[in-house]
Amino acid sequence: MEHATHAPFAADGQHHPSKFHIFVQIAMILAAITGVEIVLVYLPLAKWLIIGSLAVLSLVKFLLVIFYFMHLKWDKAFCTVLFFIGLILGGGTLWALLLLFSAESSLPPVDEISSLITLYAHNLA
Amino acid sequence: MSSHAASGHIDHHHDHTTSTGIPNKKLFMWAFLASDCMFFGTLISTHLIYRLHPPPGSPDPKSIFSIELTSFSTFILLMSSLLMALAVNACQKGRVESTRKNLLGTIFFGLIFLACQVYEFSHFVHEKGLTLSNSTFGSTFYTLTGTHGCHVAIGVLWLILMYIRSFKPADADEGRPWIGKAVVHLLVFLVTIVASMSAMMSYTHIAAEHGWGAVGTFLSHHPISTAVTLAGVIALWALGRDKSTAEFGEANAIDVESMGLYWHFVDIVWIVIFTAVYLLEYV
Repeated sequence: MEHATHAPFAADGQHHPSKFHIFVQIAMILAAITGVEIVLVYLPLAKWLIIGSLAVLSLVKFLLVIFYFMHLKWDKAFCTVLFFIGLILGGGTLWALLLLFSAESSLPPVDEISSLITLYAHNLA
Repeated sequence: MSSHAASGHIDHHHDHTTSTGIPNKKLFMWAFLASDCMFFGTLISTHLIYRLHPPPGSPDPKSIFSIELTSFSTFILLMSSLLMALAVNACQKGRVESTRKNLLGTIFFGLIFLACQVYEFSHFVHEKGLTLSNSTFGSTFYTLTGTHGCHVAIGVLWLILMYIRSFKPADADEGRPWIGKAVVHLLVFLVTIVASMSAMMSYTHIAAEHGWGAVGTFLSHHPISTAVTLAGVIALWALGRDKSTAEFGEANAIDVESMGLYWHFVDIVWIVIFTAVYLLEYV
């Protein structure tokens, strides 16, 4: 591969891996994490532990892609700030909606549910 | 052009001619991706809300999903992201041939992902009876994954256009001959993609009935789509052998990088969908 031949040296004389090697290593890590995620859901572990692990592993994959593949690590901090504004707004909306709809007071009364089911069944008939 | 560009070195991460120090195209793409985060945030939350509070009669997703197929699609999309990153890296170093090869690889992997999604949707509708309108789960699932699929399809089209753009000759006469050839190139791409998708779908259906070795049965039933696919691949190979000097190189790296940002964003959205929509159903 032609891009594999360049391994730049820093001013201090130390050898730093080229971006080609970094990208391949990141891709291998991402594939390995995906494999771990798939195995994890079949393990007989506590539910909270599996869900927590899946969340952490997904977050690691997410951060690896945006900081390495999307070059945020090498770009100006303003790009990171701009993207995280959207990410926090989107994530915050998601979190708020999940909490709102989980609240007891937002659930429809049992009578209303049964009348809706009756109405739906009547319409289908 | 900035002074460093004039001296032969392009700083691909910073542009000192803009007030932010960031190239305008890159800044636009990051702002767009930030807004797209909010768009996907609402779609994912809608799906999760209905999964946490399913209406009566909702189907069981575990009996519908195929974790093997989805895992394969996820792996393919991750590898396409690697090729996209390598394409950007090659373009920043002015290696046109390497950029083209990596772009082609990304297109190929993107198409495999789309083919898997088409197969998955077709299987869910015809075999599992899950449609867009017969349950809330179907509505939110198809809207979320279908929107992501549309993003992938737009990304593939963008990649194809960039690949064709990389053949623009340095001495193009007022653009006319180059545009004609580019249109033919694009048409060959589109025809080959449609024919190969059709052939793959037909083969999977025949394989489901007669086993994966039923190549003879497939060829006898679908000779046209197979022939068009083969002819298209040969035509693409011939069109890609153009060795003339192209007006494409290090100066175009920002265009390839912006496209790369979009492609990687599609990948990170899938990372979230894979966990939130598919894997959590198996816990």
